[in-house]
Amino acid sequence: MQDTGKNIIIAGVGGQGILLFSNLLSKFYMKLGYELKISDVIGLGQRGGGVESHFRYSNNPVLSPFIKAGDADYVISFEQTETLRYLHCLKEDGIILSSTFELSTSSVNTRLEKDMPESKTELIRKSGKKTFIVDPDENKNPDFDISKMMNIVMLGFYAELRGYSHDEMIQIVKENVPKKFVEGNIKAYEKGMAIAQTEVAEKESELSNC
Amino acid sequence: MVMMNGNEAVARGAFEAGVKVAAGFPGTPSTEVMDYTHQRYPDIYCEWSTNEKVGLEVAIGASFAGYRSLAIMKTVGLHVAADALGGAAGSQINGGLVIVVGDDVGRIAGDDYNDVRHYGNMFNIPVLEPSDSQDAKDLMVKAFAISEEYTTPVILKITSVICKTTSRVIIDEDYTYEAKCRVKYPVSFSKVIMTTMMMNAKGSEHPKLVKCFNDFPAHMKRLADDCNDFDINNLELRGKKIGVITAGTPYFYTKEVLPDASILKLGLVMPLPEKLIRKLAKHVDKLYVIEDGHDILEKNIKDLGVSVIGKELFPKFPEMTRFTPDVIEEKLVPDAPKRAIMDGIPFRLPVSCAGCSHLFITQILKKHKIKAAADVTCGLIGCFPHTEAYSLQKCMGSSIALSHGYNVATDHKENFVAMIGDGGFWATGINGLMNLIFNDSQSTVIIVDNSCLAMTGGQHIASSEFGFNYKPENKLEIAKVCEAIGVKDIVTVDAYEIETLENAILNAVNAKTNSVVIVKKPCITKFKLPKSDPYHIDQELCTQCRKCIHIGCLAIESKKGKDGKVEIVINEDLCVGCGLCSTACKFDAIKL
Repeated sequence: MQDTGKNIIIAGVGGQGILLFSNLLSKFYMKLGYELKISDVIGLGQRGGGVESHFRYSNNPVLSPFIKAGDADYVISFEQTETLRYLHCLKEDGIILSSTFELSTSSVNTRLEKDMPESKTELIRKSGKKTFIVDPDENKNPDFDISKMMNIVMLGFYAELRGYSHDEMIQIVKENVPKKFVEGNIKAYEKGMAIAQTEVAEKESELSNC
Repeated sequence: MVMMNGNEAVARGAFEAGVKVAAGFPGTPSTEVMDYTHQRYPDIYCEWSTNEKVGLEVAIGASFAGYRSLAIMKTVGLHVAADALGGAAGSQINGGLVIVVGDDVGRIAGDDYNDVRHYGNMFNIPVLEPSDSQDAKDLMVKAFAISEEYTTPVILKITSVICKTTSRVIIDEDYTYEAKCRVKYPVSFSKVIMTTMMMNAKGSEHPKLVKCFNDFPAHMKRLADDCNDFDINNLELRGKKIGVITAGTPYFYTKEVLPDASILKLGLVMPLPEKLIRKLAKHVDKLYVIEDGHDILEKNIKDLGVSVIGKELFPKFPEMTRFTPDVIEEKLVPDAPKRAIMDGIPFRLPVSCAGCSHLFITQILKKHKIKAAADVTCGLIGCFPHTEAYSLQKCMGSSIALSHGYNVATDHKENFVAMIGDGGFWATGINGLMNLIFNDSQSTVIIVDNSCLAMTGGQHIASSEFGFNYKPENKLEIAKVCEAIGVKDIVTVDAYEIETLENAILNAVNAKTNSVVIVKKPCITKFKLPKSDPYHIDQELCTQCRKCIHIGCLAIESKKGKDGKVEIVINEDLCVGCGLCSTACKFDAIKL
């Protein structure tokens, strides 16, 4: 079936390369001839503030720059507190792609408010949505710094999940990141692909068991 | 076709309009309009001026010379420049004069209480508001045409959503830049001079007087009539149940949520196309106004005698910081499913970058319980409860005069210190310092010299060593200027030399004279300073007293470990190894 378009919320905290992620994705969808609207909302604060990107591609002109709660096909999040912040935006059959990375909030650090008692990863898993979790600690790699390249790991993951051409996506990465980072970025991309292959296989076997 | 965000599109519009001069002052969300203009269109003279008022005055002068000119600022900056705008309003315009102003809607920081359209009402000048990037580019070109045709300055209102949203723009690939010179009027005076001469002179038809006078109310009346036929004001008649008058991105929210509604989309939000409004009002059962910011369209439409539903259904701040499609759906779509954010997700208060020089200052102020005022600078994060270093903070450039006022009122019994960034100092703070000297005050001022305007992304200022028009011989030295103004006691200290800094601040505070402490350290984020090895916390020695947490450094976190126990840890990816936290720890738990 032809893909007529999707609504994607990309979330995380400042410094995680969310804008690069949405920029690379936009280049890919533009090549496929889609109409696009991408709204990069940078939250209050300096480094460590929340960042969200509303990414919409469609066969038809895109109207609202913001995705209405309940209209998101994907939440792709690089920080798990931020993942929770957008769960309500997903469609019934929406998909979560989330890192287990967590940057504690200043309000919790200074006890202005209490942290959530439950494990955030578990809350995401229990959301009832199709969920893919990527743990950066379990995927540390000498070839690239995963703390800085989680965005590209997620790009590889997402492209594999959607069955996109990796050659085309890697070409876009090459054209848009500084030369000295290209090699590391490709390693990060391939890592994302590999994690996705394992995860998807696991999900499929889970589904066939029930 | 290209993809552009609103800021890029406005810059492109300025280029296609043949703008010759662009001046202004950085301010989120519209800062990048200038950055893109300078990067991409070298034909246009660009400058970051010392403040918004200066920037607008530069543009007004260039416009009088006959060239299309642009001033760029955020709404809070237009408050500073309002006197200049009032001077230009109602006066004769040669080259088109457009002021691009960013309304930072949706922020919880204070800027969202502002709405630039008030200046349209106050000064009786046109305001345009785009809905996406294409619109931003097109309205920019239109704004210059309106400015010249109706001889008036024009405001282009852009919002944080427009500025940061990327969508497709059709540009004129073959456009060849040309800055035309249009000198229509030999003189251009403020309304004050024009009306004084008109009111007092008997022979007001005398050519000497006529050339000074500008019938600005007639121009605006003409614009109000003509704008019914402008294609930027678009009436889309569909269903008869719901009609909506809207502008900006709320136009698209409305269209998506209410596809059957009849919509009047305003590109020109001031003055209003009365005929179109009446036509829509007649066509529909219920007429709503959906506008970001204040209830300005609503009030202006009601003034026409047309009944509309606005803030009674959509209460403004604090219920709402900006419109979203969700807000419209909730109120106007029956049986819309309710979707709420999960309870208990912690909020992110802003935190300073690890290694920021401001953290060293706030740490010393707190240690010695020195009362101080902050300014508009990255350092204002020190006001938030996780740092709690300052007790007073107002507008840009204010802290020096604020502390002086406090000190004269309290007979200088305690030295209420002013902290100010270098950007705020040059913008308007320098006036506070001059004022403090010639009024014989004894206040202490801490000036944070990080070589750029850090909070908006590191634009250059008078004391930077880079910039659009930078020449080393023109760089202003903060210390020399303070000396020339007459400050008695001036010291310059490296922020990371914490003991020297501590002594300098204490000496200044205790000296019975006026004093300036200049704290130097380039902005760690802008200049990507090299990192040292990260520190870590020895969990055996840590008593969880949380002193380090209250430094307000992004790298220090309170976290549940794998075993569920809370630990204070240093995030080694974020730590730059400045060592401030290790000096704050009484238990020697923070080590290299």
